[in-house]
Amino acid sequence: MSSLRWEDDDLAYDSSVFVRGKGHYVDDIIIPEMLHMTILRSPYARAKILSIKGGLSSRDLGAKMASVGEGAGPNQRGSIEPVFATGYVNYVGEPVAAVFADDRYRSNDLLDSIEVDYDPLKPVVTIDDALNAGPIHNGMTSNVLVESSKGTDFPDPKSPIVLEDTMENDRVSTNPIEPRGIVASYVNDILNVWVSTQSVHSIKDGLVESLKLSPDRVRVMQTDTGGAFGSKGGLYPEYVIASYASMKYGKPVKWIETRREHLSSTNPGRGVRGRVKIFAEQNGRITGVKGDVLVDAGAYGTGIASFSAGFIAMMMTGPYSIEKGYVTGRSVMTNKVPQGPYRGAGRPEASFFIERMLDLLADKLKMDPAEVRLLNMSDKPFTSPLGMKIEAARPFFEGAVRELRYREETKLTRGVGLSFFVLVPAVYPGESARIIVKDHRIKVWLGGNSHGQGHESFVRKLVNEELEVPESVVTLFRGDTGMTREGVGSWGSRSAIVGGAAIVAVCRKIRKDVEKKFGSYSPETLLSGYFDEFINEEQKMSLNSFGANLVTVEIGKLGNVRVKKCIAYYDVGRALNREMVIGQIQGGMAQGIGQTLHEGLYYDHDGQLITSSISDAGVPLAEDLPNFEVKIAEHRSALPHGAKGVGESPTIGVPPALIRAIERASGKRLSKTPVKPDDLIK
Amino acid sequence: MSLVKIKTKINGKEVESEVEPRKLLVHFLREDLGLTGTHVGCDTSNCGACTVLLNGKAVKSCTMLAVQANGKEITTIEGLSKNGELHPIQKAFLEKHGLQCGYCTSGMIMTSFWLLRKNKNPTEEEIRKNLSGNLCRCTGYQSIVESIRYGAELIKEKEEQQEMVVR
Repeated sequence: MSSLRWEDDDLAYDSSVFVRGKGHYVDDIIIPEMLHMTILRSPYARAKILSIKGGLSSRDLGAKMASVGEGAGPNQRGSIEPVFATGYVNYVGEPVAAVFADDRYRSNDLLDSIEVDYDPLKPVVTIDDALNAGPIHNGMTSNVLVESSKGTDFPDPKSPIVLEDTMENDRVSTNPIEPRGIVASYVNDILNVWVSTQSVHSIKDGLVESLKLSPDRVRVMQTDTGGAFGSKGGLYPEYVIASYASMKYGKPVKWIETRREHLSSTNPGRGVRGRVKIFAEQNGRITGVKGDVLVDAGAYGTGIASFSAGFIAMMMTGPYSIEKGYVTGRSVMTNKVPQGPYRGAGRPEASFFIERMLDLLADKLKMDPAEVRLLNMSDKPFTSPLGMKIEAARPFFEGAVRELRYREETKLTRGVGLSFFVLVPAVYPGESARIIVKDHRIKVWLGGNSHGQGHESFVRKLVNEELEVPESVVTLFRGDTGMTREGVGSWGSRSAIVGGAAIVAVCRKIRKDVEKKFGSYSPETLLSGYFDEFINEEQKMSLNSFGANLVTVEIGKLGNVRVKKCIAYYDVGRALNREMVIGQIQGGMAQGIGQTLHEGLYYDHDGQLITSSISDAGVPLAEDLPNFEVKIAEHRSALPHGAKGVGESPTIGVPPALIRAIERASGKRLSKTPVKPDDLIK
Repeated sequence: MSLVKIKTKINGKEVESEVEPRKLLVHFLREDLGLTGTHVGCDTSNCGACTVLLNGKAVKSCTMLAVQANGKEITTIEGLSKNGELHPIQKAFLEKHGLQCGYCTSGMIMTSFWLLRKNKNPTEEEIRKNLSGNLCRCTGYQSIVESIRYGAELIKEKEEQQEMVVR
């Protein structure tokens, strides 16, 4: 395969090795003769490239990126990123050329050997610039990448209450503590790739398409993946360049991102503005919603940047039964790093917009925000005018008001915020799984790949339940396209749902194999035999995970917000591993607080990135955060193992609850994240 | 570039090496010595994934040159367990789920080790303050704080057992 000396056990997910410093991350790979790659990046937001001397560049590799990963779609012609900037650069941090040496320091030194002449152009930096200026790309007629609408337009009704607001979530850098990285090694006509990723299949499909390779000549293997949060689901230019270079030079090539590169060149999330209008009766009943969503797609169209305009529009009614709705969505192009998915990927934005409007309505009518929310919910399933299927919502949320001790908390302090939401997990199109039974061990692979969530724990549990074998004989291995011929990926709160369903299905297939061969099933006959089954378990069902958050705050004299309580009540279906579920929720709540109070990725008027470190980007510290309280409801889904989604619930639920708490404590209407101390004291 | 001779004691072993003067301590540990448990996360001394002990004190090995470690003693995550037995803090992080993706874990454990050397029974507030140089993006820190508190208890128990043996 290559000269990487990792034993079989080194390829399994095993979090116990991390406390000993014995993980297998991509930067830990050392292969003889390996070259280190360094990328020369654009210093301009927008410029014409007059000449490039030295290094590997678009002259050598004129390929384009492929649309793979979360939200990937076919409708992105004219906006797909070239692997190396070709003719023009369109964002600060865009790859222009690459250099290689046998050591990372010498590779860095070689950057000086490249000369690039640029003719700078006026960049398009903000959403407003994008709407007013001419197109940043030749061949496009405007900066609108995608235009979409949900529902049917209707004349404004003569409602007694009409409220309108414009709300915004600034861009957030995903900032996993492990940056991106890849090792590519071309041996015996096979391109072996090790990568920190959420989806080995996306990376493989992308490399096959970009480099026009035959699928059976590419094998992508996942290394231990040190966090991702959406940003490691798809293809990036560096992956194509490293792979190409390993083939061209006949040596393994390693590329490891620096944090500065992460900020300039890894797809950030959010960066969405919504203008929303609601029509309501005096009793608080909302009769209609209209909206216009603008997504800052950045310089090139990724899957999610194209997908989110319509996706956010679709979710604009939240869990509420609103009869009329019409929402338009546009993704617009700016000279900034392309937008990508960040934990929630459109769901948090939609929830932020509608929850802010519900609070505005409650204030207008001087009603209790929980009351207004509940009276707009149904105790029957509802299909929204925007096309979202919502299960009977009211019973869960009536319970949530009690579980979150909402009535009690509002008596204790003014700064209380409440949010209700529905998470629609990315169930479609399902997931793959493979099981090999050999030598009394059960080896498992999943198409979608864990990056800290602990998929191995639910896999062991489900295999134990289905095949009646002890968990200790079950091992889940990291993603490997050599072991699963197709698969999807780990995002959109989907893994326990679709990965779990695939495990159940493949176990049942194996059970049948044993029955066919031996007449009846027993765990002993299974373990003493040899079985090998793969399944691609399709899923199309619509699934909801309801959730609610309560947050309380205090505001200091200088406008600094202190989160006192942050409580979650989420329906997770069946909690396959309670500790893991709680860990997911606590970590997600920290990110929800981060987005609301600290995090942002900023550019100046010239499109220069001014956020230059992980601290600047606002990743929260331990002392910024409270102790979280997590309450779990377990209403099983229709799937055999009962799972629902959970990973993105906290980033959907916390920002609207927290901003409301701040609004109540400060007495100022707030419509934008992050909330800055200045917003509260001026 | 001409190489410089350095002598260090790493995880209890004397090591003589020749390094480029510009080489960072973290790259010396990871690439020259193969101690890949120490990680690089941010390049700006904020995230603490690269934390090691230098003469017993927690330092960021991405912000020090290897030559500055000449004549000094370094402990990395690989040096914490003795004879294959996990250190109580390592045990505590495992039991209390003080990690998810594992990337910040080595640095968190090294910082905790130093903290519990200085303060055997830290309050939650003291723990959170002491973690201000270590970032975790997965856990929200709550399980890390619990791990450190539990680690403090395990260390205390172990010391009491040792005292009993001595008596």
